[in-house]
Amino acid sequence: MDGLQRRFDEVRADRTELENHLIDELAAGRLTRRDFVRRGTVLGMSAAVLSFVAAACGKSTTNTNTGGSTGSVKKGGAMTVGIIAPSGAINPLTVADEGGLAVLGQAGEYLTWSDKDLKLSGVLAESWSPNADASVWTFKLRQNVTFNDGTSMKAADVVKTFQAHSDPNGKSNALSAFSGVLSPHGVQAVDDHTVAFHLDAPNGNFPYLVSSDNYNTIVLPASYDYAGKYEQKFAGTGPWKMTSFKTGSEVAYEKNPSYWQASAGFPVLNNLTLKFYDTEQPRILALQSKSLDVVSQFSASTGQQLLSNPSIKVLALRSSAHRQVHMRTDKEPFTDKLVRQAIALLIDRPGLVNGLFNGKAEAGNDSPFAAVFPSTDTSVPQRTQNVDQAKQLLAAAGKSGGFTVTLATWNGYEIPLLAQAIKAAVKQVGGTINLSITPPGTYYGDAVFGKSPWLDSTMGITDYGHRGVPNVFLGAPLTSKGTWNSAHFHNAQYDGLVKQYVAAVDLSSQRAVAKQIETLLLDETPIIFPYFYSHLTATQSNIANVEPTAMGHIRMLQAGFTS
Amino acid sequence: MARFLLRRFGLALLTLWLLATIVFLGAHVLPGDVGRRILGPFAAPGAVKALNHELGTDQPIPLQYWHWLSSAARGRLGESLSFRVPVSSLLGPALLNSLKLALVAFVLVVPLGVLGGVVAGLADGRPLDRLVTVGGLSATVVPEFVWSIVVILVFAVKLRLLPVTAQAPLGSGPLTQFHYLILPAFPLVFVLFGYIARITRAGMIEALEADYTRTAVLKGISRRAVIARHVLRNGLLPTIAVVATQTGYLIGGLVVIELIFNYQGIGQLVYLSAQKKDFPLLQGTVLVIGIVYLTVTLLADITYSLLNPRIRYGSAE
Repeated sequence: MDGLQRRFDEVRADRTELENHLIDELAAGRLTRRDFVRRGTVLGMSAAVLSFVAAACGKSTTNTNTGGSTGSVKKGGAMTVGIIAPSGAINPLTVADEGGLAVLGQAGEYLTWSDKDLKLSGVLAESWSPNADASVWTFKLRQNVTFNDGTSMKAADVVKTFQAHSDPNGKSNALSAFSGVLSPHGVQAVDDHTVAFHLDAPNGNFPYLVSSDNYNTIVLPASYDYAGKYEQKFAGTGPWKMTSFKTGSEVAYEKNPSYWQASAGFPVLNNLTLKFYDTEQPRILALQSKSLDVVSQFSASTGQQLLSNPSIKVLALRSSAHRQVHMRTDKEPFTDKLVRQAIALLIDRPGLVNGLFNGKAEAGNDSPFAAVFPSTDTSVPQRTQNVDQAKQLLAAAGKSGGFTVTLATWNGYEIPLLAQAIKAAVKQVGGTINLSITPPGTYYGDAVFGKSPWLDSTMGITDYGHRGVPNVFLGAPLTSKGTWNSAHFHNAQYDGLVKQYVAAVDLSSQRAVAKQIETLLLDETPIIFPYFYSHLTATQSNIANVEPTAMGHIRMLQAGFTS
Repeated sequence: MARFLLRRFGLALLTLWLLATIVFLGAHVLPGDVGRRILGPFAAPGAVKALNHELGTDQPIPLQYWHWLSSAARGRLGESLSFRVPVSSLLGPALLNSLKLALVAFVLVVPLGVLGGVVAGLADGRPLDRLVTVGGLSATVVPEFVWSIVVILVFAVKLRLLPVTAQAPLGSGPLTQFHYLILPAFPLVFVLFGYIARITRAGMIEALEADYTRTAVLKGISRRAVIARHVLRNGLLPTIAVVATQTGYLIGGLVVIELIFNYQGIGQLVYLSAQKKDFPLLQGTVLVIGIVYLTVTLLADITYSLLNPRIRYGSAE
C-alpha cells in the first residue's frame, strides 16, 4: 500500500494543476470513473495514467462498451460497407454530410479521435495539454508518420491544415466551429513535431475541435493544393489507400502498406469498399440480402426489421443528435414564457422515444445538455407531461381560449411525425397548429435571418447532428447574437453563463455552470428538446470490431471477420 | 421525307433550347443558393460566400445563363457544381446505364404486352380477355416503388435468387450485367404490361371490326392470314406510339426504380441535381432526356408512316 501511495504521489507530482484537480474530484467521489476518464482524455492524460489513478482511487477502468461488438477476428479479407451517398465532391474543406465524412476518415486521420463514449484518444497527436487558462493548447505530434505519398508528417502540415480551416475568407465548413475560437495566425509550429494553438478565447474543450468531431480537419500535407481535387489521390496518413473512386457510386481501398500502425497488424482487412446509397431503404435491404457487410447508419423507423433480426448485429451508440422545436420569444403567442412552458409540458417524451425510435433514444429536458455529456447535471428535474399544469399556465397567460400558430419544418427522417405529435398534443388544450412541411432546401432557405423559414418561422423543428461537447448547441442556436437563433432568444444572463461554460476547464466547474444553464432554459423554454436519439449501425453477425461514432464515422481499422 | 426530317430537326433544336431555358429559370426560382446547399445550413456565411464566388454562382443570372448557353452550343455542358467533375463524365455512364435497363425492360415488356393485347383482343369479352385486362390494370395501378420492394423482398432477401442492386460490379461482362438488371425490370413489366396490352387490345378490336377485315374474310382468306396481314398491321399502330412514349420514360423517368435499386442512371441524376441545385448537371440531364424523347418520337413517326401507307409525311409537303 505504501508503494502504491508513493507511486500515486509521484504521478501526481508530474501532473498539471488542472489534472490534479480532476484527480481530487475523482478521489472525493464527485466524478464517476467514466467521467474522470472522459475529462482526463480531453486534458491529454494518457490511458496508462488514467488507469493507474482510477485504480489507486479504488475505481476499476474496465471497458465500458456501449454496444459495439468486439472480438478476435481473422486477418485479411474484404468488406463492403453501405454508407449514405456523399452529397457532393469529396473535398476536406467542403464536406458537410455523413457520407462525405465517412469517406474522409478512411484515408485521412485527425489529431485526436472522439470515440463512441466521447473519450478522446491520440491519433496523429501523441499528447496534448493546455496552459493555465486553456487559451493555449500544445500538441505533441506522433513521429514516423508518413502520408500516403511517402512524405513525412510534420508540424508544418498540421499548421497548414488548421490555417486553411480557420481562414475567415476561406470556404471551410469547419469555419463555423473555429469562429471566435481559432484564427489562422494562432496556429504555430513550435518545432518539427509540436504545434501550439493560441486561441482567440479560452476554451476548455478545444481538443474536440481538432478531433474526428470536427470532421473536415483531416491532416493533409503542406503541399496539398486546397483549390485542387482531393478525389484524385485521397491524400492522408490513414490506414486505407484509395484504389478506385466512382463519383456517386463507390470508393474502393486497399490497406496502406506504409501506415504507421502497419507493424501492429492494422488494418486487419486487406480491402475495403464503401458503396454509396442515396436513400436508406436500399441499403437496409442490401444488408438483409447479404450484399453488404455493414450499414454505417440507419434510423429506427426505417430499419425496424434490423432491430429484430437475429442474424444482424446492431450497434447502438448514445448520442447528442436531436431535434429542436423552437418557439419565437418575440412573436405571439410565445412572447409569454408561460405559453412556451405549457407547450413543453404537453409533450409525451417517453411516448416519442418508444413510438419514433423503438426506445433507441433518451428524453430531452429542454436544454442542449444530453445525458451523454459528462458535464450534464442530471440532478435537474426531468420535465414530464402534465396536461393539467399546461392548462393552468395557459389560463394564467390569458390563452385558455386557444391560439393558432404555424409550425414549419422539413420532410425528412421522423420529423413530420414529431410535428404531427406536437399538433395533436396542443389540440388537447384548444390550440391549433397548422403544419408547413417542405423540402429541406425550402425550410433552410438561405440560412440567414429574413430569408429562411428555419430562422423566421414562429415555430419550427430543426435537426441537429451529434457533437462531442455541447458548445455548438449552446452558442449559435441560443445566444443573443447566435446565427442559428431561430427562437430569437435574448437573455444576457444566459449569454454570460455560456461564456463561463466554454471557458471552464475542469468538469466540476462545467457541471456547476451547466446546472444553472439547464435551470434557466427550463424556466425560459425558448426551445423544446424532446429527445436525443441513438446512432444505429448494423453488421452481419460474423463481423466484429467495426467502430462507428455518433458523428457518422465508420472506423474499420480493427474490423474483420470472426468466421 | 428529307424535308420532313430537316424540319423535325429544326423543331427539335428549338424544343431543346426552350426546355433548357425553362429548366434554368425554374431552378433559379427555387429558394436557397448553391454554396449553402453544398456546405449545409450550419456553415458560416463567409464560407458560403467564398464558395459561391469560386463556383461563379454569385454572378447575375443572365450572365450565368449566357455562359451556359454559349458553352452548350459548343458542345460543352460545363462542370457539376456539387461533384466538381465535367457534366459529360457523369452523363455518359448514367445514360448508358439507363439504356441498359430500358433495353432489358423493353425486351421483356413489349412482347409480353403486345401478346397479351392481341390475345385479349381476339378473345374479346371472354374470360381470357378479362384476365388480361383486369390483371394488367391491377398490376399497373400498384405504384412502381411498391412492386420494387415486393420483388426485392421475395427474390433478393428471401429466395436470394437475384441481386438486390441493379449496379453490377465494375468490369462485369454483359451476362452479369443482365443478371443484375432482371430484378429492377420486373416492376417495370408489371407497371407497363397493362398499359401496352390495353392499347394493343383496343387497336386489335378496332381492326377486327373494320371494313377491310370483313372484306378480307369475305374474300375467303384464312383467319390466320387476315390477322397477320391486316389486323395486326393496323391494330398495332397505336401501340407503336405508346411504346415510343414509354421508351422515353424508361430512359429518363425511372427515378424511383433507380433510387430503390441504387442504380446510377439518368433518372437518379435528375433527382440529385435538382435536389442540390446543380444547374449544369440538371440542364445536361434534362437535355439528354429531351433528346431521347425527341429521337424516339421521330423514330415512332417514321415507323408509323412505314406501316401505314395512308400516311406519308414526305409526300404531304
